[in-house]
Amino acid sequence: MVYDGIILSLLIGFFRGGNLKGIAEMKLRGGWLFPILLVIEIFIFILQNKIEIVAKLSNGMFIAIYATGLVFLWLNRHQPGFMVIFAGVLLNFIVMVLNGGRMPVSVEAAQFLGREYIEALKAGVYGKHEAITSSTWLPFLGDIIPLSPPYPRQQVISIGDVVMNVGAFLFVQHLMVGATKDETKAVPANQ
Amino acid sequence: MKTNLKLYLTAISSIGLTVFFIKSNFRTQSLEDWVFIYIMSGSVILLNKFLITLPPKDNSFSMDSAIFLAILFLYDIDLALNVLFISCFVEFVYKRKMLWWKHLFNFSMYSIMIVGAYYSFVFFGGRIGEVDVYNLFPYMVSLVAYFLINIGLMFLLFVFLGSKFETFNMGVLLESFVGYLVTLLLSLVLAILLYEQRYFGLFLFTVLVVILSIILRKFLYLYQEASERANKDYLTGLYNHGYFKELLIDYFRNSKLSNLSLSLAMLDLDDFKKYNDCNGHLQGDELLKFFGDLLQAETKGTNYVVARYGGEEFAILMPNTTKEEAFLFLNRLRKQVNDTYFTGVEYIPYRCLSFSCGIVEAERGMYDSGELIHKADQALYYAKAQGKNNVQIFDEHNISLSVLEFKEDLDALEQQVKIFLSKDVYTYRHSKRVFTYALEMSERLDLTDHEKQTLILGALIHDIGKLEIPRDILNKKGKLEQHEWEIIKKHVIWGKEILSTEKRFEDVLPLVELHHERYDGKGYPYGLKGEEIPKLARVLCVIDSFDAMTTERPYQRTKTFEEAVVELRRCAGTQFDPVYAEKFIELIESRYLPRIKEQMFG
Repeated sequence: MVYDGIILSLLIGFFRGGNLKGIAEMKLRGGWLFPILLVIEIFIFILQNKIEIVAKLSNGMFIAIYATGLVFLWLNRHQPGFMVIFAGVLLNFIVMVLNGGRMPVSVEAAQFLGREYIEALKAGVYGKHEAITSSTWLPFLGDIIPLSPPYPRQQVISIGDVVMNVGAFLFVQHLMVGATKDETKAVPANQ
Repeated sequence: MKTNLKLYLTAISSIGLTVFFIKSNFRTQSLEDWVFIYIMSGSVILLNKFLITLPPKDNSFSMDSAIFLAILFLYDIDLALNVLFISCFVEFVYKRKMLWWKHLFNFSMYSIMIVGAYYSFVFFGGRIGEVDVYNLFPYMVSLVAYFLINIGLMFLLFVFLGSKFETFNMGVLLESFVGYLVTLLLSLVLAILLYEQRYFGLFLFTVLVVILSIILRKFLYLYQEASERANKDYLTGLYNHGYFKELLIDYFRNSKLSNLSLSLAMLDLDDFKKYNDCNGHLQGDELLKFFGDLLQAETKGTNYVVARYGGEEFAILMPNTTKEEAFLFLNRLRKQVNDTYFTGVEYIPYRCLSFSCGIVEAERGMYDSGELIHKADQALYYAKAQGKNNVQIFDEHNISLSVLEFKEDLDALEQQVKIFLSKDVYTYRHSKRVFTYALEMSERLDLTDHEKQTLILGALIHDIGKLEIPRDILNKKGKLEQHEWEIIKKHVIWGKEILSTEKRFEDVLPLVELHHERYDGKGYPYGLKGEEIPKLARVLCVIDSFDAMTTERPYQRTKTFEEAVVELRRCAGTQFDPVYAEKFIELIESRYLPRIKEQMFG
C-alpha cells in the first residue's frame, strides 16, 4: 500500500508538470535510520517462523521499530506532509501497542484475500498482524478497509495507513512541484 | 457587543454539542460502518479543500453539504454526525491557526443543520434508505431547512461580530442561492450513486467535483490576471490612469460619506525629458520602472493607492490622511529619492533623482473628484515653479493669476459673452451687471486673490449655456411650458460643457454648473445642499437672483431694489446662503440705494 501511494504520487507529480529534481535534493534529518529499520523488519519477517527467540521478541521489536520511526518523523516534522505521516503512524502505533504489538485485522474485510491468509491470521503468525476479536482494543483503527476491484490490488489497510499515504503524497508533491510552483502560486486562496 | 457575541457563541455551541451527543453514536458502529465513515470523511475533507469558486468574484462554497445530505437520505443521522465529527476534527488539527471557537461554532452549526434537515425530512414523510423519486417533497423541505438554519446562524454571527450589513447583502445571498441549488441537485445525484455503487459512486462524485474545482480555479485565475492587466500600467506595474480615476471617484465619494480625510499627491519626476535625451528612451523606461518599484515598496503596508498617472507623472491616493501627514510622508520620500543613485542621473541638472509634488486634501466644498486632481495639479505646477525638487500643499494664495493673465482670461470670456448681443441682449446685459456686482462683492468678502478672480470670471460667464436655448424660449413673453422650463434648466450643464473645452477655466466650472443650486437643496441640476455647494457658487447665486429680480423686462413687473432686498432677506437660509445674502444686502444698501434715492429725489 505504501508503494502504491508513492507511485500514485509520482504519477500525479509528473502529471502536474513536476520533476524528480526535488527528490534528489531532499534533505532529511536522521535519514540513515530508515534503511536500518527496513532491514530489521525484513529480518524479523523472515526469521520469526524459524527461530523461537525472534518470534517471542517480534511484538516488542515491531513496537520499537515504530517508535524509532516516529522519532525520525518527528525530527523532520517541518517537512511538508511529515506531520500527516506522523499522525498516520501514530494511529497505527496506538492500536498496535494497545493490542500487544500486533496490528488487528478485520476477518470480514480480509475474506477475499484467501483461506490461507485467514488461517495464518488466526494462528497469529502472519507478519505483524492478528485477527480482530471482541477483546481487541480500538478495532476501528485496525486493518479494516478492504481494497478491492476496481482498485488494482487486493489488500486490507487501516486508517493510519491512509493518513500516512496522504502525508507521503503531500511530501512527494511538494518535492516534485512545490519548489518551483511556490512563487507563481495562483492567488485565489479562499477561507 | 463583545459579551453578546460570547453569549451567542456559547448558546450555539451548547445546542450544537447537545444535539450531537444525543444523535451521534460511536459505540455500536460495525467495522464496515467505520470504513464507510472514514471514506465519507475523507471525501468531505477533500471537498473542503477543493472549493467551487464562482468567477468573477472569488466567492466560493464547499460541496461537503451534498455528502452530509446524501448520507442523511440514504443511511442515518448518526452516520452523518460521525462523518461530521471526524472531518471537523481533522480540520481542527489541520488548521490550528484558526481560532478554536470558530471551529467549535462551525461544528455546532453543522450539527444543528444536519439535525434540522433530518427532522424536517422525516416529518414530511421522507423514507431513509433509498431515493424515492416519486416523492421529492421531503428532500426539498429538508434542504430548505438545512440552508435556512445555515443562513440564519451565519447572519446572526455577522450581526454579533458587528460587521456591516454590506458583507451580507442581497448579491451574496443570490450567489449563495445558486450554490444551494447546485448542492441540492448534487446531494440527490450522490445519493443515487451511493445507492447503486456505494464507494465507486462516491469516488466518481468526488473526482468530478475536484476536477471541476481545479478548472474553475484556473478560470478565476485567468480572469483575475486579465482584469489586473487591464487595470495596471504595463511598464511600472502600478495602476493605470483610467483605473486610478475610477478608484479616485470611489474613494472621494466614500470620504464624503464617512467624513474621513483623503489626500491626493501628484508627483512628477524632475527633468525627465533631459534624462531621456541624455540616456535614451530605453533607459528612461528603466528609470520609470525603478521609480514605480520604489513607490510601491515605500507604500507597502499602508492603504495608499499608487498609480502611474501619465508619462512621468505619478499619483498617490492617501485615505485617512491629512495633508500635513501626506506632506511629511512625501517629503521624507523626496529626500530618500534624492539619496538614491540611479544610472545616468549625472546628466540632469540636479545630478540626483528628484521629483516635485503637489498635495491636496479633499474638503467639503469640493464637488467632484476632478477638482481634487485639478488642485493637486496646480500645487504640482507651483512646486515646479518653485525650482523643482520640493513638495507643496495646495494653497489658493499660491495659484492666483497675474494681473495680465487675469485680463487675458477676462477678455476671452467677454468675447464669448458678446455673442449674446445679437441673440439675447437681456442675457448679455444681465451678465455684465452680475459681473459688476461680483467685482464689488469680491472686495467685501474674505477671499484669496484666486478666489476673487474665479468669482469675477464666473459671474461674467455664468449664463453662457443659454446660447444653446432657442431664441423663442428665451424671449417668450408668456408663461413657460413644462418642457421649455426643462430646457432652460439645462443651461447650467451646457454652460459647463462649453467652458470645459478650455483647461484654464477649470476653476470656473463649478460656478457655471452650480449657480442655480439652492441652500436648502431644492435647486438644480443636482440638488446639492448647504456647504456641499462650493462657496463661490453660493455667492454667485445671490447676485444672480438679485439681478434677475430687478432687471427691467418688457411686459413683466420687476421688483425695485428695496423690494428685492426684502425678498433676499426672506429667502436667506432657504434659497440663499444667509451669510452671503446679508453681505450682498450690505453692498446694495451702502452703494446703490443712496444713489437711487438721489436720482429720484435729488
